[in-house]
Amino acid sequence: MDGLEAFFKGRIWLKDFTPFPEEQIERSIAIGDLLVTKGITADGQCARCLEKSPHKILSYNCAKCGNICYYCRHCIQMGRISSCTELISWASSSPQLHLNHSFNWSGTLTAAQKIASTEVADSLARKENHLVYAVCGAGKTELLFQPIFDALQKGLRICIAAPRTDVVLELSPRIRAVFPLTTVHTLYGGAPVEEGFANIVISTTHQLYRFENAFDVMIVDEADAFPYSYDEALERAVLKAAKPDSPIVFVSATPSDKLLKATANRSEIFRRFHGHDLPVPVFKPLWGYKKKLERNTIPQKLVVWIEERIAKKQPFLLFLPTIELIEHSIPLFKKLDGRIEAVHSKDLQRKEKVMALRNGNVPGLLTSTILERGITIPNVQVAVVGADDALFNASALIQIAGRVGRSISYPAGDISFFHDGISREMDKAKSMITFYNRRGMR
Amino acid sequence: MRHEPTWRSLFFRDFAETVCPSCKAQFCRVPKACCGICGLPGDGICRDCSLWERTEFAGLVHSGKSLYLYNEAMKTFLHQYKFLQDVVLSEVFAGDINEVLHHSDAMLVPIPMNTEKLKKRTFSQVDELLASAGLPFTHLLSKTDQVQGKKSRQERLESTKLFEWNGNKIPDKIMLIDDLYATGTTMRHAAKELKMAGAGEIELFTLIRA
Repeated sequence: MDGLEAFFKGRIWLKDFTPFPEEQIERSIAIGDLLVTKGITADGQCARCLEKSPHKILSYNCAKCGNICYYCRHCIQMGRISSCTELISWASSSPQLHLNHSFNWSGTLTAAQKIASTEVADSLARKENHLVYAVCGAGKTELLFQPIFDALQKGLRICIAAPRTDVVLELSPRIRAVFPLTTVHTLYGGAPVEEGFANIVISTTHQLYRFENAFDVMIVDEADAFPYSYDEALERAVLKAAKPDSPIVFVSATPSDKLLKATANRSEIFRRFHGHDLPVPVFKPLWGYKKKLERNTIPQKLVVWIEERIAKKQPFLLFLPTIELIEHSIPLFKKLDGRIEAVHSKDLQRKEKVMALRNGNVPGLLTSTILERGITIPNVQVAVVGADDALFNASALIQIAGRVGRSISYPAGDISFFHDGISREMDKAKSMITFYNRRGMR
Repeated sequence: MRHEPTWRSLFFRDFAETVCPSCKAQFCRVPKACCGICGLPGDGICRDCSLWERTEFAGLVHSGKSLYLYNEAMKTFLHQYKFLQDVVLSEVFAGDINEVLHHSDAMLVPIPMNTEKLKKRTFSQVDELLASAGLPFTHLLSKTDQVQGKKSRQERLESTKLFEWNGNKIPDKIMLIDDLYATGTTMRHAAKELKMAGAGEIELFTLIRA
């Protein structure tokens, strides 16, 4: 397979922005290897992200073609698609058999993981969707290794998609280590272009806009949002990137009711791999916390909680509902300990700061929900300040609580929900966690 | 289509806010104390504009105004508007631009793009700003082939002819409009060409003073 085929197979790409010389692209179009399609379809849909809402597909007078053009605002960050831009894709979909894979993992699965792993493999063999419903720290990734290896040996192309870059970056080195002979590509906004044809693609759901009919097996990690939740577009991206009859494995600690109803094949694991209970959140009233912070004082109870963490040398995460509140409050917390840092989605040094927390160079981080999932820090203690805020729904709170006690050396820890009145979502999160612990006993 | 006139838009100068207040607040207005030609913060005519008055471009520009300073938020805006070609962002400053320009009795004359670049970007960012602000404008200039971006200040000053008069009738008062004022070379060259074509008073207006 040449470089052009390896790159374009399964992709749908802006013709004017490829990593290949223009003449090479034109030649491949001329001999029919590459197909050209219009960026916006006749009925006003973006051919890349499938957006069709008139709020996002806008018209204007185009100076390039001299006509009224439509352009898509939804996926504009990936290079604008308009009526007069062209997309290219590889014409033939013949399978590429690369069967030289190896499986390099010496860990062992718990009994519950083993059962789930076999169940996933069975569903895939029948080409049926499957849901892995497993609590935070159950070892979901490990149980997927064997089914992934089975698929590789059949010459199938596999995609592991996750909604967040942080999760993709965490998964990638683990998957590469387990399948050392397999070409694995990691895709996220700003990722470098990798050579060759990837049998495994690990991608943010967002990057899947650039694929079409590509994958024989689709694994959607952190699939809480499915189906038809806040971002319908990302679900469209997953379905478009998979071949029409490809099975999808959904993996989630907090699946939506709709997803639970929609998937008949299901594996449940309500016990962590180390066998200990999930830490149950403790509700602690912190009346008027927002006003106090805005008036530049940290409520006394919170000061006590933080000082205890610092005295015991326990790393901590402090979740706050808004970036504004984080930025306003960080100077106050720095007065308690100058090494405390803040992170949020717009922070370019997020990775370094999380690393510093892990290494013990930073005692604790103030954070937005950006760190609610995907991260593991041994012995981390967690507080949510304003757990009653509308932003923290039950699944976010369950994920946040799931950061605590993940490591086998520190299987317990403090998870405090500081609040200004207990919300339904807080109640729901707590009762779900106690339910998991009860079910996990069996 | 965008820019479709409605009875409301004809009789009232109200523009719906297209960005939320906290995003809008990140843009920084040019202060009252600023250069009366380019808008650089400070007292009186700035050093750069005074230097222009010692060149062959002296006396071309009557006065000028800029609305915003260049900062992180503006950089992001320009990236999304010009580089990512998000045409609809021309509406973000429509109200501000209209407020300043709708009283002007000068003809609004946009700085043009060269044909090649216009085809590449698929729209003229200056024309779209004015159209979104509901202001009529007239092109009096066309761009010659030279590209500004990568030249040093000296090279810019020396570069000969950036614009050509397109032959349309020249009115008495002209307001030259551009999105970004950096060195002022573009504006001086445009003003010079218009003066030679017989223009009277020339004012400048830019959205951003870099």
